[in-house]
Amino acid sequence: MPVGLSLSGVSRHFDGRGGRVAALSGVSLEVAPGAFTALIGPSGCGKSTLLRLAVGLDLPDAGRVSVGGLSPAEAARKGLTGIAFQDAALLPWRSVEDNIALPFDVLRRPHDAARIAELIALVGLTGFEKALPGELSGGMRQRVAIARALVNDPEMLFLDEPFGALDQILRRQMNVELQRIWMESRTTTLLVTHGIDEAIFLADRVVVMAARPGRIARVIDIPFPRPRRAELFGTPEFAALEAEIAGALDGH
Amino acid sequence: MTLSLDRRLFLGLAGAAALMPMRGRAATPFAFQASWINDAEFAGYFLAADNGYYTAEGLDLTYLSGGPDVIPESTLITGRADLTLTTPDTTIKAITEQGAPFKIIGAQYQKNPLGIVSLAKAPINEPKDLIGKTLAVPPVNVISVEAMLAANGITRNQLTIVPYAYDPTPLIRGEIDASVDFTTNVPYTIKLAGEEATSFLLYDHGYTVFNDTVVVTEDVLASRRGELVAFLRASRKGWEENLVDPAKYPPTWADTWFAGTGREIDNEVFFNTAQKPLIEAEGGIFAMSEDAIAANIEALAKVGIAATRDHFDTTLLEEI
Amino acid sequence: MAIRAILALALWELVGRLALVAGGALPAPSAIAIRFWADRGDYPMHVWATMQGAGIGFLIGNLVAVLAGVLFAVSPVAARLARGVNIAIFALPAIAIAPILTLMTTGMTPRVILAALGCYFVTMTATVTGITQADARMRDVIRAYGGGRLASLRLVELRSAVPQILGALRIAAPAAVLGSILAEFGGGGRFGLGAYLIGSLGRADPARLWGIGLAATVLAGVGYAVFAMIAARVTASTVAVTVAATPPAGDAPRPLWQRAALAAGSVLLPFAVWWGLIAASGAPAMIAKTPMALVDYLMLPNKAGERILDALAQTLPITAVGIALGLGFAFALALGSVLRPGIVRAFMPVALVTQTMPLVALTPLLVLIFGRGPSVILWITVSVTFFPAFVTMAQGLQMVARSALDVPRAYGASPWTVLRLVSIPASAPYVFAALRLAVPRALLGVMTAEWLATGTGLGNLLNQSRGYLDYGMIWTVAVLSVLLSVFFYQVVVWIERRVLARLGMTTAA
Repeated sequence: MPVGLSLSGVSRHFDGRGGRVAALSGVSLEVAPGAFTALIGPSGCGKSTLLRLAVGLDLPDAGRVSVGGLSPAEAARKGLTGIAFQDAALLPWRSVEDNIALPFDVLRRPHDAARIAELIALVGLTGFEKALPGELSGGMRQRVAIARALVNDPEMLFLDEPFGALDQILRRQMNVELQRIWMESRTTTLLVTHGIDEAIFLADRVVVMAARPGRIARVIDIPFPRPRRAELFGTPEFAALEAEIAGALDGH
Repeated sequence: MTLSLDRRLFLGLAGAAALMPMRGRAATPFAFQASWINDAEFAGYFLAADNGYYTAEGLDLTYLSGGPDVIPESTLITGRADLTLTTPDTTIKAITEQGAPFKIIGAQYQKNPLGIVSLAKAPINEPKDLIGKTLAVPPVNVISVEAMLAANGITRNQLTIVPYAYDPTPLIRGEIDASVDFTTNVPYTIKLAGEEATSFLLYDHGYTVFNDTVVVTEDVLASRRGELVAFLRASRKGWEENLVDPAKYPPTWADTWFAGTGREIDNEVFFNTAQKPLIEAEGGIFAMSEDAIAANIEALAKVGIAATRDHFDTTLLEEI
Repeated sequence: MAIRAILALALWELVGRLALVAGGALPAPSAIAIRFWADRGDYPMHVWATMQGAGIGFLIGNLVAVLAGVLFAVSPVAARLARGVNIAIFALPAIAIAPILTLMTTGMTPRVILAALGCYFVTMTATVTGITQADARMRDVIRAYGGGRLASLRLVELRSAVPQILGALRIAAPAAVLGSILAEFGGGGRFGLGAYLIGSLGRADPARLWGIGLAATVLAGVGYAVFAMIAARVTASTVAVTVAATPPAGDAPRPLWQRAALAAGSVLLPFAVWWGLIAASGAPAMIAKTPMALVDYLMLPNKAGERILDALAQTLPITAVGIALGLGFAFALALGSVLRPGIVRAFMPVALVTQTMPLVALTPLLVLIFGRGPSVILWITVSVTFFPAFVTMAQGLQMVARSALDVPRAYGASPWTVLRLVSIPASAPYVFAALRLAVPRALLGVMTAEWLATGTGLGNLLNQSRGYLDYGMIWTVAVLSVLLSVFFYQVVVWIERRVLARLGMTTAA
């Protein structure tokens, strides 16, 4: 049963050489159970800070963050969350299947071999089960990271610029695949990205953030029905939404 | 290099921790700390052990080899050994200056084998010849040499003293003019290198002290008197038999006591032969005559070591 | 390369045959080989005994080092508290504590302890570095699934530290061999290459001494090679690990009173460990001196203080000169490695031999060549200090960013100008790291030479007090040499911080 994510009045600041930086200031955001939300904004707008708070890697100075009514750390320990990072962050000494199984080791659960095999098939890596990350291409590594994020059947999925390091063509392919995977699981998903097209293509809702201090500038609903196809990228409606978000990013 | 271990070698290695336990029937454990690595200096004890003289006396002997960092007296203090061989000057100095509870109960060398060794082609025949020369002295023996020099009216700054690192090569190469070493040992090596050696004993020029004095702590003397006499008796028997023919036994120890020492058996035979007149005594091996003790006290007084008669205990020798 | 090696051997043979060096002190390789063959029956038992001492010490030392490294990586407070102990172990001149170990323990123990001490520092620092430098993203993955510090250690950090640790084991293996041999030389055992050496010194046979020295070199080299191979196999890539010279700092922002308490604890801990070990050993007070007993000893009217000051006046100046020459030579060689790599490569085998041959074997040979004056001390000191310093500085010169080198090159600068403008200033942190490495090694070299060659200074004082049963002095010299080493180390660190801060650089490992 997918759970929701809730941030209310969250602030986080860091002390640096140039004085105090307000990475997030009074941010409130509700992600409904089963929704796909994209977070977009210029660098320094606090979107990565927000994600770290939601995952429990960091604590807010003020405000409250909850995942399905629990604190992020509690939710993580219960195995409610799944996460994929920008640079895959695979353990180089583990094979593809062992990397995917890592959350089981952390959560001290038995390895579910059937589930792992299923996910390897889902991300199209059948035949590479025993390969080491160093032997895979960047796109393949990213797909391993996504399989790993899904392996514990999370209720809440966090994706931190998972395709940021890929080229445009590969990225579009991965977008289509991610949508297919998501439609099968319908997990609550928060995607942090700096690609406007990626955000529109994948999300039900795009949250646009602004910097100094980090805050939510606008929330834009995406009306396209699913499954969305690659042709969507070329439509005038898509271009109009892109222009609207770009405008929001520029502060309009 | 392949390491194939046969049984003998393995047994040898089992003693790599310097231990050579001799198991006997219901024998009392007794640990003996030698003052140097295994060479002919300790031939009498090797023979006594091999022939079972210690076992016959009811002793289960543990033989501990020595080395440069091993201070024989220290093993008595820590209780690792019951009896050891020392140089009398350091032992008595430790008694008088640090209150160490030692007693000298016998002397292996009636005459200290330490001497001034030089090459025959540039001989140093008496102390006066040392003036203006370079002499290598083991740092431990500097006091002894200074005593000998003083007894002969030579001051320390009339010659150059450098440390001696157990290696006669500098003498053979002429880098130094003479060295202080066991006259029983080093002339052999010099001969091997194609040179002829000449030497004189410090003992014959005023430094009339024993060497390898047999030392125990007062505690052990009080509590283990019977075992000490037994050790002296068995060791004397071993020494007497060994000295009958000094060439006889060293070759038989090539694979046991002398295994891996890096020294030649011929060297040990030379050593054993040369030490015979220094060990043999009228009162039997280990004897300490009143005259000899008086001479020791007198010689040590010259280097400021206040030896007295009661540092020496001759009563155990009488019980042998 | 092969041709060069053959040429070098041929030259050596010629020099040996004609007895060109010190009337035959450098024997021809053929003479060494013939002697070795004649002695072949002796070697297995000695090599085996050395392997036992070094092997057990290697296991214990590295096990303790990894456990300590994990503790220091996890707890900055523990790292800060143990800093004093760590520096003391790093700076410990083995030659000064070998007699103490022989005094306090028996049998294999001194060998094992010296071998273990030789391994500890390098492996401990590598473990800390490996753990703290583990990929932060991988750690985040573990934490994101609710994994704590232990899960992170178990699944990510220990495993990512493996290449670093293996790299350290490579350096620890020869160190263990040398530690064991030094203890064997003095400790009174019958077997071991060190024991063989002491028996052979009186033979006046340089070929035997060379044989033993080279056997030790091969043993140490094999240890290095085995772990280099394992490292290459496991990590599928080699990690450049140099000899570490910085203990984990454990510095974190905390209140002044806490920092002061930790600093005081760090200074006191080595003394507490010393006192505790003596209490635990139960050794008699005449032999085992506690810190208080040493203070009492120095108060006695026995002129101990005077003798120590005299010895220091002999030892310290020549140590300083030796370090300066060793580092100067290393720096010149490091520059050479950039300008003319070929010359340096040809020189490397000789350099390796001087590092892995036990000093107690090398010193008598050098005495024959250089005599017994101050020059032999300097030669020995230079030979033990220059190599690690060279490796560290050469690495520093090579680490300079390519783009930084390309700028002057683009303006047509010569290699020398590039060195002068970019490489040399950029390698400053490595010069300091080399200096920190050199200090304890220099003391080891000087004291060995003083003991076996010149009969001066602290080395001689140590040897003499051993002969005179002057236990107070034996301990004083040992403690003093450690304190001196630590003091020099701290002075270097102090200067380094200021200089590097001015240059806007950070400390190199």
